[in-house]
Amino acid sequence: MTDPQDLRDVPESETEIDDGPPSDRDPMAALLKRSLGAPRLGSGPSPSILRGVQRRIRKRSRGKFFADGWSTSDAKVSHTLIAAAMLIILVVAYFALGPVGIQ
Amino acid sequence: MALPDDPDTRLIDRLVARDERAFNELVRSYEGRIVRLLTRMVGNEEEAKDLAQDVFVQVFKAISSFRGDSKFSTWLYRIAVNLCKNRVKYLRVRHANEQDELDSVTEKSLGDSRPAGGQGLGRPDEQMAGKQVERIVQLAIQELEPSFRECLVLRDVEELSYEEIEQITGLPAGTVKSRIHRARATLREKVERELGEKIR
Repeated sequence: MTDPQDLRDVPESETEIDDGPPSDRDPMAALLKRSLGAPRLGSGPSPSILRGVQRRIRKRSRGKFFADGWSTSDAKVSHTLIAAAMLIILVVAYFALGPVGIQ
Repeated sequence: MALPDDPDTRLIDRLVARDERAFNELVRSYEGRIVRLLTRMVGNEEEAKDLAQDVFVQVFKAISSFRGDSKFSTWLYRIAVNLCKNRVKYLRVRHANEQDELDSVTEKSLGDSRPAGGQGLGRPDEQMAGKQVERIVQLAIQELEPSFRECLVLRDVEELSYEEIEQITGLPAGTVKSRIHRARATLREKVERELGEKIR
């Protein structure tokens, strides 16, 4: 909803002509940028946020989403790598225990 | 400065298909920006992190309604700003109730020993001029009307274009410019009053 007061009292000279960074032109904007743009605010990814989001979606979807360990895990190991490792183990087990194995 | 990089179309397609891993990627990519934006809006990082989780839950629910008319990040910011408005209203009511209780306790235990201004700016560790000015600005912006603060933060801190701010807030261009102008003026007045000098 538009506040009627919004549409008045803005001197033309005070409005910005171009659309560049305001902190380059207005000292108040620069001070604001410096004060609120500090890197300490929300710096770095937080694992708790992802876990919290997954938990909330799991709860709201009644377990339909993010219900298994794969989707909620932070592990970067790909499915392909795990499949390859399993295949190698099976081959080794076959040769160790099968007809060509140690008698 | 342009908006943060948008995810590619393929990632959005995976999100629409409810790919959970794609959603994890999205949260990791955007959580920092969203938490920073919300912290500036609500003035409390813990509250902002809680609110950010709601934002991503809302994205998960509504991703199929994203038509690509605006940038994905603009759409995401719009969700964040709308949820933030509701949270600020809730916090105001809660804060007012808590303040009533706190005032009665404080009056009983401290009498008239509160420092002038009541904002705790006189602590020794905040005496360094730069830090003190930043603190004054952080406090002053929280005193602005939320709808004005929202426009000012999006423009002066996030450095979004007026067009993007219009899309995020749903306000006409004239209103956005006017609110930014008035918010800057009010903020300047508050900060100069606290500092006792002009900002140049």
